[in-house]
Amino acid sequence: MSDTPKAFQVPLHQLDAPAHQLHFESILNSVPDAMVVTDESGTILAFSRAAEQLFGYTAAEMIGRAVNVLMAGRDRTNHDTYIGNYLRTGHRQIIGKGRVVIAARADGTLFPVDLKIGEARIDGRFLFTAFIRDLTEQQRSELRMQEMQSELVHFSRLSAVGTMASALAHELNQPLTAVANYLEASRDLLDSPDPDMREILREALSEAARQAVRAGEIVRKLRSYVSRGEVDAHPVSLRPLLADAIALSKTSRERADIPVNIEVDAGVDRVLADPIQIQQVVINLIRNAMDAMTGRSDARIEVRAAPTEEPGLIEIEVCDNGPGLSPEMKESIFKPFATTKAQGMGLGLSICQTIVEAHGGTIRALAAENGGTCFRFTLRQDTEAGPT
Amino acid sequence: MTETRLIHLVDDDEAIRHSASFMLRHAGFRVKTYMDGVAFLEQVAAAERGCILLDVQMPGMDGLEVQETLNARGVAMPVIVLTGHGDVAVAVRAMKAGAVDFVEKPYTKQTLIDALSRAFDRLEARRKEDVLAEEARGLIERLTARERDVLNGLVEGQTNKVIAETLDISPRTVEIHRANLMEKMEAPSLSTVLRIAFAAGFGGTTAS
Repeated sequence: MSDTPKAFQVPLHQLDAPAHQLHFESILNSVPDAMVVTDESGTILAFSRAAEQLFGYTAAEMIGRAVNVLMAGRDRTNHDTYIGNYLRTGHRQIIGKGRVVIAARADGTLFPVDLKIGEARIDGRFLFTAFIRDLTEQQRSELRMQEMQSELVHFSRLSAVGTMASALAHELNQPLTAVANYLEASRDLLDSPDPDMREILREALSEAARQAVRAGEIVRKLRSYVSRGEVDAHPVSLRPLLADAIALSKTSRERADIPVNIEVDAGVDRVLADPIQIQQVVINLIRNAMDAMTGRSDARIEVRAAPTEEPGLIEIEVCDNGPGLSPEMKESIFKPFATTKAQGMGLGLSICQTIVEAHGGTIRALAAENGGTCFRFTLRQDTEAGPT
Repeated sequence: MTETRLIHLVDDDEAIRHSASFMLRHAGFRVKTYMDGVAFLEQVAAAERGCILLDVQMPGMDGLEVQETLNARGVAMPVIVLTGHGDVAVAVRAMKAGAVDFVEKPYTKQTLIDALSRAFDRLEARRKEDVLAEEARGLIERLTARERDVLNGLVEGQTNKVIAETLDISPRTVEIHRANLMEKMEAPSLSTVLRIAFAAGFGGTTAS
């Protein structure tokens, strides 16, 4: 160590320019998080080794390109506006704070990242340095946990419904049988000349009506049993909820490579929902979409959240570019035990409907413009929070 | 002899007991109701003969268990089992256990009445057989021991000669016994003799 060059013993800020350059490059090669430096127009000036690995681009091809290719959805289209707003107002949306956003790889796949941005002002111009940490692993393990929990809830509910089915059939058959007994006997006694018969018939018909009401009550009980009657709806942020649902729907699926785009309009991010239940709905819809597009190479799924005409109500849609629904299927698609899948029980959409309705919303299926199918459901907005 | 056909209705559901009785009574049946299998089994020994309408799905003792107990006790009334819709496995078990029919709930009045009519026809046929057997046994009781021996031979298809050899008597004596037993049994022909003998349980197994 005695022959260490002298230059390295001076403080960093006293290094000359070529030494600074060398030092900067060593940082780019060794910084563990992906690091991307841009100018104030969003043009990439530096792209670290870790960034190359994370995004699948080389530094050589990225330098000079617009940084928004690394972003997804609205961030991608609005990035220039973000910078413009900041430069004009000085209002920091993200700089110095850090937040979780969705990033896009070279191959088009989306993944969650923790994004932190630092700024530097050199000769009156801004330099932005972004540090990007991949959250896929972290989120995956969190999600796996969540999935296990929600599947547990789901399965215990499903199997309970299953074992209930035969008991329910008996329960429902009893009043229906009684109604049929009373009505058929009454019909055959209508022409009886016996003057007492009117009173007897009146009583029989009243009893038949009571039994019909009893059947209705049994159905009502079942519905509230399936949905548990209560929803723990509280204010939640829609974007992470949807991102989680997308990641979850891809776990242990053959078609996990199908690109799923997510788009949440400004001002609709805060909703009132039981996140696990609404995730269940979105997961079901995405998995149905994946199943509908088996074997298609251009398969694509869009998840969008947008306001509706009715104030306080937002709409979430899951669209595929699959073969679409037949008219018959559209009729029965939300009914229990209606299915087009060989392995399906036909309960998924019926459960989706129950959950959405328990949240005070509605769900429907529409033909998409590209021939595929869109499922749309409404949710109440968290109006307390006001516009974001 | 009963003027009106009697139904024993076993169902744990009061609405079913009430509504089915209402319908069946106005369709010309008599109905006795029981609120479960245990109550029915307690009373069945002393019960008048009729058809049993048995709900399968009952708490405590289910319909199939009731049916097994009836079989074990030798209760010979025809059983119609009421099952839930599409409950094929239960229906098959019920039929194997000797139910004459099964009807799925909810049923139409006609379906139930048709099933009941078939069951009552069977009950009636069985009742007639029983009457005939009773009468036949009465006729045979008139015979002497020797005449019964000869009847036994006739039932087994033996000629007078073989019967005579077996009983170690003369063919002539066999002829006399035969003429006497025909007169006592009020039978104008051998075929009538044989029909009465079979009805009384002669032949094949043992004659008593």
